[in-house]
Amino acid sequence: MVIYYLIPKVNYLRPKTKEECLKLINELRDFKVLAGGTDLVVDLKIGRFRVKNLVDISRLPELRFIKNEERQLRIGACVTLQELLESKVVKEKLPVLYEAIDSMASWQIRNLATIGGNLCNASPAADTAPPLYVLNAKLVLESVNGARVVNVEEFFLGPRKTALKPNEILTEIIIPYPQGKAGMKFIKLGRRTSFTLSVVAVAALVNVEDRVFKDVRIALNSVAPTPVRARSVESRLVGKEVSLSNIYEASKYVLNDIKPISDVRASAEYRREMSIVLTKDAIIGALNSIGITPS
Amino acid sequence: MTSSIEDPFYLLEKWLKVKEFIVVGKSVRRADAIDKVTGKARFLEDYVVPNMLYAKPILSDVPHALLKGVVTDEALKIPKVIDVVTAKDIPGENQVGYALPDQPLFPEKKIRFHGEPLGLILAEEPEKALEAVKHVKVVYEELPALLDPLDAMRRTDVLVHDELGNNIAFRTKVRKGDVEVGFSKSDVIVENTYRTQHQEHVYLETEGALAIPEEQGRMTIISCAQYPHLAQAIVAKVLGVPRTKVRIVQPFIGGAFGGKDDIGPIVAAQAAVAAYKVGRPVMLIYSREDSIRSHPKREASIIKYKSGASRDGKLMAIEVEIIMDTGAYANRGPFILWRATMHASGPYEVPHAKVDGYCVYTNKVYQGSFRGFGNPDIQFAAEAQMDELARKLGMDPVEFRLKNVLKPGSYTITNQKLNHSVGVGEALRLVALKADWSRKYGEYGKGVGRFRRGIGVACAWHGISTSRGVPDWSNAIVKIEKDGSVHVFTGIVEMGQGSPTTSHIQIVSEVLGIPTDLINMYHGSSDAPDTGATHASRGTSIGAIGVLVAAAKLRERLNKLASEVLGCKPNDVVIKEGKAFPKDNPEKFVEWKELIKLAYERGVEMSATGYFFLPKGAFDHERGQGFAYPAFSYIVMIAEVEVDTETGMVRVLKVWPALAAGKIINPLAVEGQVEGAIAQGLGLAIMEKVEIGPRGEVLNPNLTDYVVPTTTDMPEVEKPIYVEDFFRYGPFGAKGVGEMALIPMPAAVANAVSHALGKRVTELPLTPERVYFMIKKG
Repeated sequence: MVIYYLIPKVNYLRPKTKEECLKLINELRDFKVLAGGTDLVVDLKIGRFRVKNLVDISRLPELRFIKNEERQLRIGACVTLQELLESKVVKEKLPVLYEAIDSMASWQIRNLATIGGNLCNASPAADTAPPLYVLNAKLVLESVNGARVVNVEEFFLGPRKTALKPNEILTEIIIPYPQGKAGMKFIKLGRRTSFTLSVVAVAALVNVEDRVFKDVRIALNSVAPTPVRARSVESRLVGKEVSLSNIYEASKYVLNDIKPISDVRASAEYRREMSIVLTKDAIIGALNSIGITPS
Repeated sequence: MTSSIEDPFYLLEKWLKVKEFIVVGKSVRRADAIDKVTGKARFLEDYVVPNMLYAKPILSDVPHALLKGVVTDEALKIPKVIDVVTAKDIPGENQVGYALPDQPLFPEKKIRFHGEPLGLILAEEPEKALEAVKHVKVVYEELPALLDPLDAMRRTDVLVHDELGNNIAFRTKVRKGDVEVGFSKSDVIVENTYRTQHQEHVYLETEGALAIPEEQGRMTIISCAQYPHLAQAIVAKVLGVPRTKVRIVQPFIGGAFGGKDDIGPIVAAQAAVAAYKVGRPVMLIYSREDSIRSHPKREASIIKYKSGASRDGKLMAIEVEIIMDTGAYANRGPFILWRATMHASGPYEVPHAKVDGYCVYTNKVYQGSFRGFGNPDIQFAAEAQMDELARKLGMDPVEFRLKNVLKPGSYTITNQKLNHSVGVGEALRLVALKADWSRKYGEYGKGVGRFRRGIGVACAWHGISTSRGVPDWSNAIVKIEKDGSVHVFTGIVEMGQGSPTTSHIQIVSEVLGIPTDLINMYHGSSDAPDTGATHASRGTSIGAIGVLVAAAKLRERLNKLASEVLGCKPNDVVIKEGKAFPKDNPEKFVEWKELIKLAYERGVEMSATGYFFLPKGAFDHERGQGFAYPAFSYIVMIAEVEVDTETGMVRVLKVWPALAAGKIINPLAVEGQVEGAIAQGLGLAIMEKVEIGPRGEVLNPNLTDYVVPTTTDMPEVEKPIYVEDFFRYGPFGAKGVGEMALIPMPAAVANAVSHALGKRVTELPLTPERVYFMIKKG
């Protein structure tokens, strides 16, 4: 008996194919796309959104694939988090994404929630975003007019705001495999050790040659209106020798890249301090993952 | 003859002497296990009746205001919305305060907290009720709100309850010896202020009730309360009908933890008023948000604590001030404050004590019962003080505690002599050895490195039964049917803890000497004799005395009958595994079924009640001295933690519990209680807090923003040590268990974190943010 909440009456539409779906949403007004629904259904209950129509894309076969290609991994937008967690290729080649998903939600929710949904919901706390940022993932956005590809960073415009046009859906995430021997790490700080929203989370990816940082990519969530890259930190490390003092020093510059707020989960001040600590920890963790222990 | 062998004192003592047990003390599987796992067990939501209406509460969205009216015209225009129920529809008395008569079922003139239920919307379909509530307009004139208890204590210009003239709902006092003398004889003195926070129960099942009007003006209520007879009393009062017109049935309850002891009867009364008005069954279930916004929370306390000890490690004096923020209503706040006051010393002897307690009104969601009932806060403060005294004296904290811990013959803070059942010292000695305390205490806490280990100990005590001279009793009916199967009727409810589905069955099985599957429990109903509430860790202790006494009376009758058949003395009759035989001749037996058949043929009554009224002593309320409780349960908890000093994250790695709770009737059930209480105590210690905003509103009224521990936050829990310090009136000597392991958790974790960091923790919860800034402040 569901007598606790009022889920507003909506028209439930489930196109059979991607093509049918794109045609439908090209005409349709006042709708939301339903992927896993683990965010959307709660948002409908609490009245964050009021819509007439729901377009369920969760079972579109064209959006449910994991393709391991030579230089890249292609993930359909409606692949569930649990499917990604159980994917051998994700765990082996993209451990930073694996670690992020491993830190998310519970088994039950991961079986419904999709990677595309996590991105399109555009929560500042989206945990799949920081790894995709450091992996330079590309997103395929499709409409009846065809497909376009945007960088994941260009996709997030603000809390719950994305670059999707009204007639577009996210269909695919393309992740280029990191070049060379890349070290990766995802660290999440929440109010408990699992099944919780992040207070701050950091993903790091590093490439080192001759004990010098060749490439450094860092991204954080929950510390700005969108997930952010910490370019101030990155630029201070590239070309520098791998040392603890360089990492500590550079990590402080993360403050230039973030704009945290205070909420019921943590204060802005604590988020600023933790952004520094977790950035440093994530860089060290990424180095450790390729057998480098900075001193 | 019959009267003396059926005297409950005689029977309790007789069964207390039993040395060899058949089922008591064994991990018998609970009777409700399979039904719960397979989903057959019925909870409130599973009861659906024809013609039922759905109710949605209307909650206030102002913290303090004069209520001018509830305008429902728009709401009532929505199709299938049937009616609205408010204060004016209450046919009886609009008063549901437990300790003080200060709380209306629905307010008439004044709103006192943000989230206060003002009435109910009734509709044919739940969706319509949910829609309609948005169209209700509450007309009010806002008043300034008091949110800080220290501010509220001083103010008289703003009054939460006008008729009182100030905002202090209740005061308590203890005056033992002379604290000035005590402090003058002290070589070390420690003084600190401690703060604890409101905790939410997060029972899986929210509040609810189904009220069904029946013939002859009767009302049956399927409710989620912890005390069917209290729910019956409250419903009868608000309806203005005799109690016999109200029947309460408690299905399985999805967790309660004290919360439903307060709110259960009130929600039953809300549904009853609605059903009474419309003459149709009304199902009322609170959403999670409405639940968190409106039901009582664990006490938030401010505790000023001064303690002194002599150089040789004797506790000399304590001076304590306890201020509890009771919110909008006193509810059970005064009782909670009494418990905190009388437990303020911790389980230690102290010759001089002065305690002052204040229960203060504010315009916030009110304070109520929650596992531990005022005790986790005060033990947190008392045990921090004990550690600080030990540190100043240069003594090991365990050694210092052992010098002061209560033992048989000790006098408590209220000057009550403890004549028996005091196992806390033994529990402390044993658990310190098991946890390798001495080594770890010496090795940890050196204050180096990012990840720092610490170990902390906390002792706690918890009075069994109601405090002071407040009457307490037990009862039950045991009926043996003609085929030898047994019916047991008790008011004790099953809310997850399992007392009626484990220990009660074991007790009856032990006493009658029959297999457990012959016993059928009928629990949680006002049709059973008033057994008192299922609270205060009493389900298997005080709550089961009635079960034991009733069964024991029948056993006496059966012994006499069997002795005539077997040709032996009544006291030499053994009944075991469904056979009665003389103790020296097991071959010569009569089958249980035959024996019962004979009883019916020969006119031996095969039903009995087990009424027992607990003897108590005198208490002087002016000085807070005298008889506090018939006995205390004790627990010692050692916790080992690791603190990440760069993030402030505390991980509790392992805990070692040692329980002195008398006879352990079912070790498996006790382990369940201990682990659950540790989880809840861990939440209180490190993460849980109801956040209140500037308008008195709960800022985290959902399970996204209010976090409780998950399995991955749980420490390893070592098997409990049991010191079986029998309580003379407990069934087989059992005291209480349910609350015990929660009580010392905040103290043990806080002491461990303080040890790890070399810094005194004085405020909960120990969130990463709090710990981080505590370290940073230096």
